[in-house]
Amino acid sequence: MRAAPRRAGLPAWMVIARRELIERVRTPWFVIVTILGPVLMIASVVVPALLASNVDTSARIAIVDHSKIVGPALVSKLAAVQWKAELVPTETTEAELLHRVRDDRIDGFLVIPAQAPRGGAVIYQGDNATNDRSMRMLGALVMQTELELRGLADGLSPARIDALLAPVDFQPRHTTGEAGGSSGVAALIVGYAVMFVLYIAIVLYAVNVLRSVVQEKTNRVVEIMIAAAKPRALMLGKILGVGAVGLLQISLWTAMAVVTMTFRGSILGVFGVEAAGWSVPPLAAVDIVVVLLYFLLGYFFYASIYAAVGAMVSSEQEAQQVQAPIAMLLVIPVVCVRLVSSNPRGGTAQLLTLIPFSSPVLMPMRWLLGGATLGDLLASLAILVVSTLIAARVAAKIYRVGILMYGKRPSLRELLRWLRY
Amino acid sequence: MSDGVAVRVTGISKRFGNHVAVDDVSFEVPTGVIYGVLGPNGAGKSTTLRMMNDIIAPDRGTIELLDGLAPGTAAAPFVGFLPEERGLYPKMRVLEMLAFMGELRGLTGREAKRRGGSWLERLGLSQWHKNRVQDLSKGMQQKVQFAAALIHDPELVILDEPWSGLDPINADVLRDVVREQKAAGRTVVFSTHQMEQAEKICEHICIIARGKKVLEGRLPEVKRAAAAAGRVALGFASVADRARAARVFDDRALATVRAAQPGDEVDVEDPLALEVELASGVDSQALLAGLLGAGAALHRFEVVTPSLHQIFVERVGRHEAQIALRSEEPTP
Repeated sequence: MRAAPRRAGLPAWMVIARRELIERVRTPWFVIVTILGPVLMIASVVVPALLASNVDTSARIAIVDHSKIVGPALVSKLAAVQWKAELVPTETTEAELLHRVRDDRIDGFLVIPAQAPRGGAVIYQGDNATNDRSMRMLGALVMQTELELRGLADGLSPARIDALLAPVDFQPRHTTGEAGGSSGVAALIVGYAVMFVLYIAIVLYAVNVLRSVVQEKTNRVVEIMIAAAKPRALMLGKILGVGAVGLLQISLWTAMAVVTMTFRGSILGVFGVEAAGWSVPPLAAVDIVVVLLYFLLGYFFYASIYAAVGAMVSSEQEAQQVQAPIAMLLVIPVVCVRLVSSNPRGGTAQLLTLIPFSSPVLMPMRWLLGGATLGDLLASLAILVVSTLIAARVAAKIYRVGILMYGKRPSLRELLRWLRY
Repeated sequence: MSDGVAVRVTGISKRFGNHVAVDDVSFEVPTGVIYGVLGPNGAGKSTTLRMMNDIIAPDRGTIELLDGLAPGTAAAPFVGFLPEERGLYPKMRVLEMLAFMGELRGLTGREAKRRGGSWLERLGLSQWHKNRVQDLSKGMQQKVQFAAALIHDPELVILDEPWSGLDPINADVLRDVVREQKAAGRTVVFSTHQMEQAEKICEHICIIARGKKVLEGRLPEVKRAAAAAGRVALGFASVADRARAARVFDDRALATVRAAQPGDEVDVEDPLALEVELASGVDSQALLAGLLGAGAALHRFEVVTPSLHQIFVERVGRHEAQIALRSEEPTP
C-alpha cells in the first residue's frame, strides 16, 4: 500500500472555484452588467415616475353639469392648467360622449350630479384615467370647486374660504425608535431596492450555476472533470466560484450606491431636483452585513437546488422547463413584498421571513424597515442555515448521479433512489 | 504493486437497469506494458474503464490500481484518463485549459503551466496556446485532451478509444506518445474496436464481448496459439496437383478447405491457391506429409498467422464483429 500523496497544488474545489470566477469576470458581460445593472435598475424606477409626473397639459374634456353651478366654476379652474373643458348640454347621452372619446375628439367626460356640491358622485370617464397625476389634479380641482361653492352657499367670504382651504403640510417620517427618523418614502425605497437587488442577484447567479452545469453536461467536459475530481468538489467549486462573482458584483454595486448617496445633492442638482428633505435612512455596517449574509445564504440555498436540477436534465430547453417551478418559489416573495413593507412587524411578515424560500429576499428589507427584532433575525438565519445545509446535501447526491446520466429525465421515484446511493 | 501488476480487476460486474454491461470480468495489467482492451461497441469496454476511474462504481468485484490503490481520489494523482466522451471548456484558452487540468490533478499552478507549455510544443500546438479551445479543429482539440490526460505524468494512463476521429498523421503522433510513455516505464491501458491500431502497438490484449471476457494474453502468444489451431495457405504447382490434393481434403481427417473470406491470406481468384483449416489435433507437419504422400507438388506451404482482426472475428463472432465495425451503439 502506498500512502495517498499530499497534493502539491490547491485542493480541487478551489481550483474549480477559481476557474469559474476568473472565466466569468473576464468576459465583457461582467463589465457590462456591473455598470449597466444599477443604471437599468434606477431607470426602471425613475423613468416611469418621470413619465407619470408629466401632467397631461392638453387634455380635452366634456362636462355634463346636472347641478348647473359646479360646471362653470370648474371650467375656469381647468383653463388655468391648460385643460380644454367644454360644458355640454345635460341631455347629451353617454353613448354620444363615448363615441366622441372613441373618435378622439375628447379625452374624457365628467358627469356632475344634480345634488352637487352637496353630495352625489362626480364621475369621470376617459382614456387618461390611468394617469395618476392627472387624475389626482382633476380630483383636487373638483373637490376645491365644490368646497368653495359650499362655503359661498354658507355665506363665507372668498378670503375666509381661501384661508380654510390653505394646504396642510403633512410629513410622514419613518422610525423604529432611533432618533432623527428619515422620510417614510425614502425608507421604503431603500427597502425595496435591497429586496429587488437580492432577488435579481440570487436569480441571476443561481440560474448561472444551472446553465453552467447543463453546459458541462452537453459539451461533455464533465467526463474529463469527473475523472479528475469528486462530483462534490465539482459542485462545491462551481457554486462557490459563481457566488464569488456575485459577491464581487454586489460589492461593486454597493460601493456605487454609497458614492451616489454621498454625492446625491450634486447628482440630483444636475437634474434640477432639490435634494433637501430627502434624508436617507441611516445604513449601518450591521445592515450591510445582514444584506450580504442573506445574499450568500439565499444564493447558496437556491444554487444548490439549481445545480441538482442542472444535473437532472440533458439540455438547456429541458432545464428551462424544470426550473420554472423553482423560479416560482422566488417570485412568490416578490409578489408578497407589500405584505411585509406595509406591516413589517405583522404576523405575515414574521412568517414570510422565516420560510427559507422567501426569507433571503424579504428579511433584509424587513430588517431595514425596522420590523424585525434581533431574535427574529437570528431565528430566520438559523432556519435558513439549516435549510441550506440540507439543500446542499440533497443536491450533492442528486448531482453525483445525475451528472453522468444522459437522456431520460429521472422520475420522482428514481430521484429518491439516487438519494440513497 | 510490488508484484509488477499495474491494474488488477477482480470479478467486476455492472448492470444498468436490466442490461448487464459488464459480467464478472477479471484481468491483470502488468506494470510497464501497453495493454489493449478490445471488443465491439457496447461490449462493456468503456464501462470497465470508467469503473477503473471511479466514475461509476462496480456492483460487484474489486479494482486495484498501482500499489493497491482504490480508484478515485487516492489514485487520481497517479492516473491519467482520456474519456470516450470528450469535451473541453470551449471558451477557455488552450494553455489555461491544460494548466487547469494539471492543477485539478494536484500540480501547483506554476508547474501545471510549464508542463502544459511543453506538451503543446510536443504536439505541435505551441502557436495556439493563447487561442480559445473552440478555435481549434477537432483533431487539435483531441490532442489537447490527450495532453490533459497526461499532464501530471501519471504512472498509469487509461485511454478510451483514443484513435477514434483522428487522421492517420495524428494517429501516428498518438502512437508515438503511447510508446514514449511505455519507454518511460509507465503503463498504458486503452480500449479500441480498431484492431489494426491495437495490432500495431499492443503487447497484451483482453477481448471483451457482451460484457464477458473472451480472451486475454500477450499478443504474440495469442497469435501463436491461433496459428497452431489455425490455417495453412497452399500454392500448387499445377491444376493436376490441386486435384490430387483435393482428395486428401475430401475425408476431412487432416484439414478442410476454407470458404474464401475477405482478409484471407490467399488470392481467391487464383486456381492454384487454397487455404485450408487444420482438423483439430492435427499438426501442420502431418498435413504436409499427407499432401506429399498424395503426390501433390507444392510451391507454397505456409502456416498462416492470423491477424488480430481475424482472431477478433473468430472469437467474438462474425455477426458481432460486423456490428463493431459499423460502430453503432447497440441498444441494450
